[in-house]
Amino acid sequence: MNLTTFSFLLFCIITLLIYFIVPKKGQWFVLLLSSLYFLFYKDFNIGTLFYVLVIFLAAYFSAIFIDKYAHKKSAKWFLIGGIFLILSQLILLKYVNLFLVTINHIGSLFGQSINLEITPPAAPLGISYYSLIMISYIIDVYRGLCKPQKNPLKCALFMTYFPILTSGPFIRYPDMEKKLYTKHKFNYDNLCRGLIRILWGLFKILVISQRLGIIVDTVYQNYSTYSGLYIIMAVLFFTMQLYTNFSGSIDIIMGVSKIMGIELPENFHSPFFSRTITELWRNWHITLGAWLKDYVFYPLMKSNLIQKIGTKTKKLFGKKVSKKITLYISMLIMWILIGAWHSGEYKFIIGSGILQFIYMVFEDLLAPIVKKGCKKLRINPDSFGYKLYQCLRTYLLFSLAMIFFRASSVSNALEIIKNMFIFKPGFFTNIFNLGLNKANFVVLIFCLIILFIIEYLQIKEDVIEDLFTQNIVVRWILIYALIFAVLIFGMYGPKYDQTIFIYQQF
Amino acid sequence: MKKLRNTIIFFIIFIIIFLLIGKILHIKPNAIHNFYKEPKNSLDVVYIGSSNAYVYFNTVLAYEEYGFTTGMMASDSQPIQVLNYLLKETRKRQKPKVYVIDLGHIHHYENDEIGAIRKIIDEMPFSLNRLAITKKLLNESFIDKKDYINYYFSFLLYHSTWDNFNNLKQNDLYKGYLLEKLTTSIIPQEKENWNDNVSYLNSIQKEALDKTIKYIKDENLEVIFTVPVKVYDTTKMGYINAATKIIEDNNLKVINFNTIDELKIDYAHDLYNSEHLNVYGATKYTRYFAKYLKENYDLKDHRQDKKYSSWQKEYERFTKSLKKLTGYNIEDI
Repeated sequence: MNLTTFSFLLFCIITLLIYFIVPKKGQWFVLLLSSLYFLFYKDFNIGTLFYVLVIFLAAYFSAIFIDKYAHKKSAKWFLIGGIFLILSQLILLKYVNLFLVTINHIGSLFGQSINLEITPPAAPLGISYYSLIMISYIIDVYRGLCKPQKNPLKCALFMTYFPILTSGPFIRYPDMEKKLYTKHKFNYDNLCRGLIRILWGLFKILVISQRLGIIVDTVYQNYSTYSGLYIIMAVLFFTMQLYTNFSGSIDIIMGVSKIMGIELPENFHSPFFSRTITELWRNWHITLGAWLKDYVFYPLMKSNLIQKIGTKTKKLFGKKVSKKITLYISMLIMWILIGAWHSGEYKFIIGSGILQFIYMVFEDLLAPIVKKGCKKLRINPDSFGYKLYQCLRTYLLFSLAMIFFRASSVSNALEIIKNMFIFKPGFFTNIFNLGLNKANFVVLIFCLIILFIIEYLQIKEDVIEDLFTQNIVVRWILIYALIFAVLIFGMYGPKYDQTIFIYQQF
Repeated sequence: MKKLRNTIIFFIIFIIIFLLIGKILHIKPNAIHNFYKEPKNSLDVVYIGSSNAYVYFNTVLAYEEYGFTTGMMASDSQPIQVLNYLLKETRKRQKPKVYVIDLGHIHHYENDEIGAIRKIIDEMPFSLNRLAITKKLLNESFIDKKDYINYYFSFLLYHSTWDNFNNLKQNDLYKGYLLEKLTTSIIPQEKENWNDNVSYLNSIQKEALDKTIKYIKDENLEVIFTVPVKVYDTTKMGYINAATKIIEDNNLKVINFNTIDELKIDYAHDLYNSEHLNVYGATKYTRYFAKYLKENYDLKDHRQDKKYSSWQKEYERFTKSLKKLTGYNIEDI
């Protein structure tokens, strides 16, 4: 169910009405029924049910047994068993071909022509999200951060809570336990704030992302025709398209959840005002980064293997270098996993993983040199100009990596990068022939400026809360402006193709 | 209480702005759009049908020469199923002396053209009749059920007209009449063929015609059914003959203009394509038919009435366009 459709609107209205009408103790059950409907309404079949059930049962029972045998060795085996069962579903559905393609490539390196390929069954909606969510759940039980949920229906609600099924964010059981199952009274302020958040999400997706998508698609699909400045523009626009699409979905999800009184963790925090790639990733897809840090990176750093590497390298290169080596090895593994999480394709592993890792390593290694350089050249690192340069540089580097994300394959991405440096005249005369006419282009630029202003304000304050401190005239004018901007400039309805939610496919 | 009051005020303002913007953005003028712009009870004749109505009958020429006013409840490829609904719809605003129903679209019953549906319902103000037409057309169409919502809320389609506002708002119609200037030489069909081809109407066509005839009789309306001049294949000719028989059996009038020699349609010059007359053919058709209407029905002459001055202005706009597009004055045709 696409988040910008009438079906979703209707679904939310019905869910909210029933949610607030039924006796408070039954609210969580309403959420469970809505979530199961949301999960299965489109593709309910034995296969989908099987994968979802395996993940659920693996998490549910391993958590219970981990708790039962806490502080005993068998708890660890239940933990490993649970994680193995969940990951096996994920691997079977999403990563089998990645392994087969790798085998094919290795074979070709040795002159062997291997053509292994299978078509895995379609993955159920949200599997990448709730698989990791349930892994974190059993690890948290193992770590003693929470008690297992013994009511299987309540546990199923945590796994399938419908707002998170399309684009996340990643929720944690200790944070959600009280929010999901406690009674929620209807709250007028929550309703207003939730609706504004939904509107803001719709603005990002329908007004900005859809427009950017038209230009990006035109150029990426005809990259040999559009070279040089066209490709540079499409590359820069795609990053913004991805951001407005993904964060817009999150805004809608957060808004719906807010109306029900269930606050979800933020997934973005004005990422394009980040001065380094490291900072950008602290503000971009925050919950995925945090998940991987807590459940992969830190355990990896403490693992025997890394510790052994640390001891050996310490003897060879000294403490400082050894620390860097172990850090970079753990980071590399984590970034490969972040890339792979998106999909079992090398283009994601490179674009959203390895390249990001390389950027961060360089940032880390070059930091002392840059600091010295600034001092020598008498550049104030906190001056506006230098900050702006850093933000632009970060955006450019990130956009460059995102070419792999948007391209159809790694070789396609390399072709696009090559064509970026072939310049043809006529860019400014043909700019309105890329699918957006002049009027739409002007609207796009104007809305991007508004987006950046709001994002900038959002760094220091909660813009929605700030809106509600304004007097009624200002507040209503701003809300009407937002509503009618979405209604008039939004790319929806029969004239436009269906909205594509980029992160729904992962 | 204050919150409830504010919410109600907020939504009232929202609805007012929404309706206002909806009206501004709905800017694809067609003949039906023009029909609704006419003041209530100001039309003497209402013409219902497809492009064979609004491309054939020059409403401003009929006004100029005979003084009566004609409204066009006509749209491109109009499905035959809407006839009785449109009769009902026109009667909400107008009380014409006579209705003209074009039979040239009797073969349009499959509802496979989305545009054809939209051109009718999108122009109509919100009413139960509009809902009924929409439901009827959608149920008999191939349109996916999940897209039905777009037909009930036309804002979903028209909200994006702002980016081509100036081009779209141009009204190329003259009180519903569309001037077609191109000429294609067509081989005429034999007149005697009209007697040979009779086929049966299918259930959709039959139901549409029966309902229309019943409505006409129940409401005691003056109606003329017309068969427009164009080239018909044997199937279409068969439909027309079958429909003519049903209508005449009900003591209603049908005029088949294909069999009238006085029209003097020149197939080498007066047709835009095999399915439509051009401005030269339309002028001949209008002069003949307007005279017939004036002679047979009590149609008022409004030419001296200031309330109808817009008709004179539109006629002048038409003659200017005619001169510009064809080089002819109306008197020369």
